[in-house]
Amino acid sequence: MADEATRRAVSQLPLLKTHAGPRDRALWPQRLKEEYQSLIRAVEQNKAADSDWFRLESNADGTRWTGTCWFIHELLRYEFRVEFDIPVTYPDTAPEVAVPELDGKTAKMFRGGKICLTDHFAPLWARNAPRFGLAHLMALGLGPWLAVEIPDLISKGLVVHRERQGDAAAE
Amino acid sequence: MAADWEEIRRLAADFQRAQFADTVQRLSERNCIEIIAKLVQDKKLDVVHTLDGKEYITPAQISREIRDELYVHGGRINIVDLQQILNVDWVHVENRASDIAKSDKGVQLVLGQLINDTYLDRLAEEVNDKLQEAGLISIAELCKIYDLPGDFLSEELTKRFGKLIRGEMDQYNRGVIFTPAFVARHKARIRGLFSAITRPTPVSSMIGTFGFQEHLLYSVLEELVNTGRLKGSVVGGRQDKAVYIPDIYAKTQNAWVDSFLQQNGYLEFDALVRLGIPDPSSYIKKRFKSNKLLFLRAACVGQALVDQVEASVEEAVNSATWTDIQPILPSCLSLEDIGMLISQAMRNTNVQSSARVLGDTVVVSEKFLSNCLSLFDEAMQQKAQKEVKNNPVFLITEDDLKQASMLTESSATSKKEKREAERRKKATEGSGSVKSGGGGNAREIRIRKTKKKGRKDEDSDEETGPSQQNRSKQTAAPFMAQEEIVAVLEERVSDCPEEILSELAEHLVRPLNNAYQEVLRTVFMSSTSSPSRANKKKSMKDLQEEISSLYNNIRLFEKGCKFFSDDTQVHIAKHILKTLCSDVTNILVNFLAADLMMSVENPSTITNEVRVKILGKLSEETKGPLMKLHNCLNGKTIEDFLTNIEICAEVCGFMLKKADKKKERQALFVHRQALSEQLKETEDPALVLHLASVLLFQGSTHSMLHAPGRCVPQIIGTLTGRIPAEQQQLLCAYQSLVVKQLVSQSQSRKQQQEEAAGEGEAEQDDEARSVRTQLTALTPQVKDLILSQKKTSVTED
Repeated sequence: MADEATRRAVSQLPLLKTHAGPRDRALWPQRLKEEYQSLIRAVEQNKAADSDWFRLESNADGTRWTGTCWFIHELLRYEFRVEFDIPVTYPDTAPEVAVPELDGKTAKMFRGGKICLTDHFAPLWARNAPRFGLAHLMALGLGPWLAVEIPDLISKGLVVHRERQGDAAAE
Repeated sequence: MAADWEEIRRLAADFQRAQFADTVQRLSERNCIEIIAKLVQDKKLDVVHTLDGKEYITPAQISREIRDELYVHGGRINIVDLQQILNVDWVHVENRASDIAKSDKGVQLVLGQLINDTYLDRLAEEVNDKLQEAGLISIAELCKIYDLPGDFLSEELTKRFGKLIRGEMDQYNRGVIFTPAFVARHKARIRGLFSAITRPTPVSSMIGTFGFQEHLLYSVLEELVNTGRLKGSVVGGRQDKAVYIPDIYAKTQNAWVDSFLQQNGYLEFDALVRLGIPDPSSYIKKRFKSNKLLFLRAACVGQALVDQVEASVEEAVNSATWTDIQPILPSCLSLEDIGMLISQAMRNTNVQSSARVLGDTVVVSEKFLSNCLSLFDEAMQQKAQKEVKNNPVFLITEDDLKQASMLTESSATSKKEKREAERRKKATEGSGSVKSGGGGNAREIRIRKTKKKGRKDEDSDEETGPSQQNRSKQTAAPFMAQEEIVAVLEERVSDCPEEILSELAEHLVRPLNNAYQEVLRTVFMSSTSSPSRANKKKSMKDLQEEISSLYNNIRLFEKGCKFFSDDTQVHIAKHILKTLCSDVTNILVNFLAADLMMSVENPSTITNEVRVKILGKLSEETKGPLMKLHNCLNGKTIEDFLTNIEICAEVCGFMLKKADKKKERQALFVHRQALSEQLKETEDPALVLHLASVLLFQGSTHSMLHAPGRCVPQIIGTLTGRIPAEQQQLLCAYQSLVVKQLVSQSQSRKQQQEEAAGEGEAEQDDEARSVRTQLTALTPQVKDLILSQKKTSVTED
């Protein structure tokens, strides 16, 4: 699970109220609005805490989200692309976040770079549906996963810093 | 719907904007601290952090805050308090504080406290207020009140004298501040008080009584004395024992001492101490430098007195007398001092060898002493002669002891013991002779008296008794006891006090005894050498006569006792042996002893032991027979004695003439005469009976009888038939009465001891009284019986 700081941060995030998926034409915009507000709040919080770590943007109807996330390890910034779709059963089902760059590099990942969150996150999400939103997904799902996996991958040499990569390429 | 989407788009845009907004650049607290620490380390920044670590503060700020706090706290603040207020490390506070104290003249750091001038000014004002109120204030007190060091306080206060404080500090004791008014008041009191003092007064007591300030008092007093306002002086410095002595007192004291010395010629230290002069001898030395004073233990004496003593000592020596110094000297001088004075005087007059000091105060010239010795010459001579005559035996032994050093100590002691024993024997004998009563012993003595030497016997006994007792006390024959010497001196030396005499006597005893020994020896030698030989020749004849008369008497007595039965004969013989025969033996022994210079003036004083002793010293040929003679004295028959004495007389060169009839009769007559004389005089019934019976016996048998009182009944028994019946009856009656009286006497003596019942006693008394009256009635008859018969017998003869 996420560390203490994360949990505190999450607790400050506004909980969502509208129970609606993308298929629910009438209520989806409402839900989407709440999602955005929540995300904005999360980003603001992160920035305020000097722990900003991702960028996201959605398509027009808000069903597909793409962006980047980064992780600072030993004073080096490792950045990865992030993408996920809003499933039709949302918000009962959590979206499956994918980091395609790391596909095949770690065991805790489904095919296609979807990170494996089932262990802890799925029950947590199920318990808190529909109040959890994307902001929670990022803070409680991807954040902790990155914090665990990236240092491991770096130590295994599976993830190399881009400059080094460059260095390595130059060599 | 559209609006919703519009809003969503806007939100998405907001989201993007939010995402791309600048991230706030934040430094964590840790980093900040590290950065600042780094900066401070590199000396790029000069800051100090507070103790709780929440703030950084610059030194300048600390200084400013310190000043502010100082002001807030009224000009005085403790650095510890400051540190708590500023909440900065103590080192920084202290550094800044000392910097401030250094840089700012108005601020001082005292005992870890910052103090500025306004505070001190205010303090001075306060002190001034107190001072004006009390008149005097001590720095120590201020120290306590303000909790500041005395030096600092006095310094700061001194700066403000005259400005803020109206007062002055004591010059001698810098711990006190006075107001001028107080000082003036004090001064006035001191002036008045000490002007009034007329005798030495301890300053401390004045302080106690009048509550003066000690320091002020001393300085004022000194000032007053120095300026001459007070006539006097302070002795003993500024301590507790300081004493103010007014001049007037010193003057009178000196005057007293001067006049006393002038008048009396001496000064007693005690008197000076009483006058309040603590060290008299040094005072006297200082005051009478020019006078020559003799310092004794407890006084000193002027030249005049010493001269006087010297003069009297000299006079005593020159005039060969004594002088008592005591009356010349003041009575207060101790004996020790007098002794010192006298010895000094004797040293000065150079008469140490020709005078001596007796009884502490009396100077006696040696000439006087020798004069005193010569006073005794005559007495010594006399006494020596007497002693020689009386006790040659003892003298001999004494001389032997001295001259013959070979005599061992043990023999000497044994001799002494012997002498002791003799002395005791003699004493008992003497007492026996003196005691009167119905006992037989007394009568014997009286009978012996009739033989013309009884008289002498007693005299000599009395004389020798005490002298021997004296002798036994001291081994060497002493001349006189100390008391006797004192008595003699008292007679001869006029107006001498008792103690001196006794001391003089003590002084004289030893030389007198020595001289006496000398005199004794010479007298003894001279008396034994020539005159005794002459005497001997002369007395030879007398002795022979005496011995033979005694010898004849013994023979007659022996004859007389033949009339009696055997038992009675033994008794009578023993009696004769004990009395007459012993006398004869003694005369013989004494005669022989005279040859050996051991003769005794009176032979009858010789006892058994003395006899044995003398015999032991005799030559062999005379010793044997005399020893036998001596032994048969203890026998039972007179015959043995008679044969022995004949032999002894021969050995000694005496002729024993046997008496012829005429002489015998003469002896009988003399004996009877003597007895009847005695009978006439006596009143004792027992003695009357004894004498009467003996006389009747002689009258009837014409033979002499010498019998003990015990044999009176037997004598009367033999008389039966030889005298008329009525006389016989009278005698018997008288005898029974005498016996009764004797018995009752002894009984009453017993009864008195036992305290018998009154009745029996009364009876006894009655009986005794009747017996006594009968006896008194009969006594003249019995006497008459004899005396009348005597007449007839005389006519017969």
